[in-house]
Amino acid sequence: MEKYEKLEKVGEGTYGKVYKAQDKATGQLVALKKTRLEMDEEGIPPTALREISLLQMLSRSIYVVRLLDVEHVDKNGKPLLYLVFEYLDTDLKKFVDSHRKGPNPRPLPPSVIQSFLYQLCKGVAHCHSHGVLHRDLKPQNLLVDKEKGILKIADLGLGRTFTIPLKSYTHEIVTLWYRAPEVLLGTTHYSTGVDMWSVGCIFAEMVRRQALFPGDSELQQLLHIFRLLGTPTEEQWPGVSSLRDWHEYPQWKPQILARAVPTLEPEGVDLLLKMLQYNPANRISAKAAMEHPYFDGLDKSQF
Amino acid sequence: MASSLLFDLENPLTSADEEQHPFSDSIAALFAAESDHMSPIAGGHLDLSARRDAVSLILQAQFSCNLDPSVAYLAINYVDRFLSKRQIPSDKPWVVRLLSISCLSIASKMKKTDLFLTDFQREEGFIFDAKTIRRMELLVLGALDWRMRSITPFSFLPFFLSFFSPAQPPLLHALKARASRILFKAQNEIKMLEFKPSVIAAAALLSAAHELFPIQFASFRSAMSSCEFVNKEKLGECCNAVGDVAMDGCDSTFEMVSSSNTPVTVLGRHCSSSESERTVGSSSDDHDLKKRRISELRGALRLS
Repeated sequence: MEKYEKLEKVGEGTYGKVYKAQDKATGQLVALKKTRLEMDEEGIPPTALREISLLQMLSRSIYVVRLLDVEHVDKNGKPLLYLVFEYLDTDLKKFVDSHRKGPNPRPLPPSVIQSFLYQLCKGVAHCHSHGVLHRDLKPQNLLVDKEKGILKIADLGLGRTFTIPLKSYTHEIVTLWYRAPEVLLGTTHYSTGVDMWSVGCIFAEMVRRQALFPGDSELQQLLHIFRLLGTPTEEQWPGVSSLRDWHEYPQWKPQILARAVPTLEPEGVDLLLKMLQYNPANRISAKAAMEHPYFDGLDKSQF
Repeated sequence: MASSLLFDLENPLTSADEEQHPFSDSIAALFAAESDHMSPIAGGHLDLSARRDAVSLILQAQFSCNLDPSVAYLAINYVDRFLSKRQIPSDKPWVVRLLSISCLSIASKMKKTDLFLTDFQREEGFIFDAKTIRRMELLVLGALDWRMRSITPFSFLPFFLSFFSPAQPPLLHALKARASRILFKAQNEIKMLEFKPSVIAAAALLSAAHELFPIQFASFRSAMSSCEFVNKEKLGECCNAVGDVAMDGCDSTFEMVSSSNTPVTVLGRHCSSSESERTVGSSSDDHDLKKRRISELRGALRLS
């Protein structure tokens, strides 16, 4: 760890403190994440070993935040593991916030939304093609390089060792805004659709500059979704009423989605609709999304 | 959920119990990544005697702890990659033992196999304490950049098997089983380290096919060598090398038959055992048969 100099605390990740630090030898900025993985008599814990090597494999994509190094320090005779990631100066939440408030509020340029969404789909497709679900995609987990216009997925993979907690270790409530309806309804079988739902919510948020479904409890979260997309029926989503946490809900009719994203062009609305399908099996895949006509005007060769 | 992280030699990129994904994406990724997982001997400083000692200790552990061969296979892969990056001080031969034990420990964790090495160490007449092994584990992990989901020849078997026709499960199963045995054996050969994992996989399957399904062999070979990812020339060389292993032989005829083609690679083998084998072991008929089969295989595998 003497390789790095801690500069400042940049956040409280779901799993622990995150520091901005600098590689003393190269000057490179990095993000240091302390894990709470302690080594015992058996050496490196098997789950940590398997997860970190998975993370290492996934971070080959430039749309996934790169794991640069794994460091260990002895703390009271017990080694602690630190993960060293590449550092990016901002995340999508801060980026969108800076367009909503502050000295110069303005919409995100449509070309930026298009490019970020494409990169997000590309990163998600990469993870999915390696059999890995993110399960907690949200603007805070998407790091942005403003200068280069690059977006990268962060906080990947660790979801499994730690399981997705309801409260982070600082007792901050974990946001539910991007959580897919099947997760909120207590499904036991997760699929790639959970991530695509989150991608849809993030897409809409870039357009609106505010969250599409800002619920503050699991029930409120579901009601937000139902009020916009209509209460789901057995017909459009077979099996929904047998999910663990299903109850009888008020019957809402679907609203016109384009009204929630008034500045979005029709192709974009169509893609958003395909991401927000109730039945996870009908939700568009990341790979198919990349081929959607919404991206026709984008120069894909740059990615 | 945790089981989905289990590392499978055949499937380093995808976790087994997740949704199935289109082959094409992951296979291109595999070919792109395989070079990161090699342990080049040419130009490198792989310590051959350390390697030999480590391999023999790991195989010893495999038998004495009744380990799954894939755990030993993975451990040897870690040893090779470690040795191609770090030097072992020659005045500290115990480091090789520590390295072998640590690589076995990491491999068994990746495969979620329980491994009790204490008894084995005691049998072998040494014992490292937990803290020492832990430190060595971290050294190995660091040297290998924590890329422990090794891409090995096994990773490519399912892909290359898809070139075999007829695609009947019992045939494919037999072919894969035979090729796997060849791969386990071939790992002991230092020469194999020269080849990319994909090339070794293709060569092992061709060798298995030649042995088991001679009728389908020709079409299998041509389908495989038309694959965009395969370098035909390298495959030819590797087939020669695998042929040696597959036939379990070390015969001077080899060299004569193949010297026109690949003089260096074939002559690289040590043939010290062949003389004694000849006099002690087999009858001359067996010997001739074996010789004939080997040269047939050589000819058949030649791709040019």
